[in-house]
Amino acid sequence: MSSIEAVGLTKDFGGERPALVDASFSYEGAGAIGYLGPNGAGKTTTLKLLTGFLRPTQGFARINGHDAQRERKAALSDVGAVIESPEPYPSQTVLEAIRMASDFRRGTSQNLSQEIDGLDAKLDLPPLSARTGRLSKGQRQRVVIAGALVGDPKVIILDEPSSGLDPKERILIRNLFKDLQRDHLILMSSHLMQEVAEICGHLIFVNEGRILLRETTENVVGRFRAHVVDVEFDAPVAVDRIRALAPLVKEASSLGNLRFRVTFGGTRLARGQLLRALQECGTVLTFQDSSLALEDAYLTLVRDGPNLGGSVQ
Amino acid sequence: MPALGTASPDALPIEVSVGVPSDSAHFWMALRYQLSFYIRTSRFLGLFGFVGAVVGALALGTVYLGVGGSSAAEVLSSNLAYFTILGVVIGAFMGGDAISMDFGSGTGYYALALPIRRAILLLGRYGAAFLVSMVLIGVFYLVAVSEAVWLHGTGGFPWAAVGISIGLGALFILGVLAVAFCFSSVFRSPAVSMIMTVIVLFFGLGTATGELPKAGIEPWFSVLYGGLAIAAAIPAQGSTLFGPEAAPSLPLGIAIMLGYAVVFLLVSILVYEFREVKG
Repeated sequence: MSSIEAVGLTKDFGGERPALVDASFSYEGAGAIGYLGPNGAGKTTTLKLLTGFLRPTQGFARINGHDAQRERKAALSDVGAVIESPEPYPSQTVLEAIRMASDFRRGTSQNLSQEIDGLDAKLDLPPLSARTGRLSKGQRQRVVIAGALVGDPKVIILDEPSSGLDPKERILIRNLFKDLQRDHLILMSSHLMQEVAEICGHLIFVNEGRILLRETTENVVGRFRAHVVDVEFDAPVAVDRIRALAPLVKEASSLGNLRFRVTFGGTRLARGQLLRALQECGTVLTFQDSSLALEDAYLTLVRDGPNLGGSVQ
Repeated sequence: MPALGTASPDALPIEVSVGVPSDSAHFWMALRYQLSFYIRTSRFLGLFGFVGAVVGALALGTVYLGVGGSSAAEVLSSNLAYFTILGVVIGAFMGGDAISMDFGSGTGYYALALPIRRAILLLGRYGAAFLVSMVLIGVFYLVAVSEAVWLHGTGGFPWAAVGISIGLGALFILGVLAVAFCFSSVFRSPAVSMIMTVIVLFFGLGTATGELPKAGIEPWFSVLYGGLAIAAAIPAQGSTLFGPEAAPSLPLGIAIMLGYAVVFLLVSILVYEFREVKG
């Protein structure tokens, strides 16, 4: 069964703080994991450590049970990876670039044309005779993704796979990985929350080199939604009056004269207490969970860390 | 370890080593792809032009100015005196970017994400650089031999010596390429590694090779000195640019060039194997 494992991965480049500190996670089977964090959080560093581009200062990474450093060839033997901005030899044609990946991965061009036809259908590849050095960024990215997928590696590691793609190309990529995650193990970093939410069933949040949270996408969305309610009064209420309900209320913002978005502690008890407290401010017409999207969860986690009811794993 | 799900029944079994080519198969693949890269570059055509210009100038000098002496061996020896200069330029251009391209551009993120040992990838590229260089060197020898035969005929032509010289020339190219690969594995910029190769070999070792013998010191550490065996292999009497008397003995020449090839190639493999791909 396909597996990705990071154990205490730490990478220190000698800067102000380590790029990655004690990152541990493990997944096996099929599915997609979204690796989320702001720029400089340590996402690419993690993916590079997993694929042997970097050596860890401490800890180790294994892919399919093989150490990414000491057994790099075996570890990468069933991996398709797109890290940073890969470029085939500029003089290579699209066909040659994909064939090279196929040759190195499987050693045979058997069924390659069929496989390329399949990838072309999914990725809308540029003409196979075109030189990769003359392709647009989006075209080249699609060729690189085709190179990562040719030979059908079961573990796919992607660093911002939609980077440089236009909306149409992003939809292509999204649909492709939604299909692939059914029988492949995909670990992808991304800034695009909608993309991650649609593809990935599991999430890892990382910031300043530390993993903040590991959860299923469903739980993350559910948990953060439960922390925020939208409340509507029958008459105008000053937002400061709601803010004065601290520490029960962590944050309140106005959505209009009558409606407010209120962030609170998150427990069922706190939710009940909040409702009672709000009723003292005025007549509450509606009181419901806010439709906070993954983006809000992401922003909240990055800003406040994992201490919003989540457990760091 | 949390399981995410189960792969569909028709998914490939996860016995990861199955299907991955052997190191020797990877070597030939790497060589083939690098070869096709080299022969498409404008640099290859440029070097072809450079070699053509050098041999053309030498031929003009020999035929019209009478430089080179009165026998086939002397014509050959006179031409081959310039071999090391040509070899350094070819080696620098063919090997200077072979590895640095992986660190200075995105090709490393494409090639090194594939399941191939870096050492094997490097050796494949080294093999390709050697073959392409030998094509260029072959042109040089072809013109030099043709010139000598045209002027002095095939009677008493030193074919065996030419064969030995070609073998030594190949060894010199291996040594220079190894130096270029070594710089290429250290520097991110292909231009810097090419320039460093030329500077170190031409200005550093070139000066040492030219000046130290005047002080009675044999520059045994210089691949350029070892390369003088290439011209010296032709048993010519008379003047050549450096003079056969300044050349090393055949075993020493072989030892120097082989030493360069082995030592610098090993260093480049080690640097390439352990170097991180950042940025």
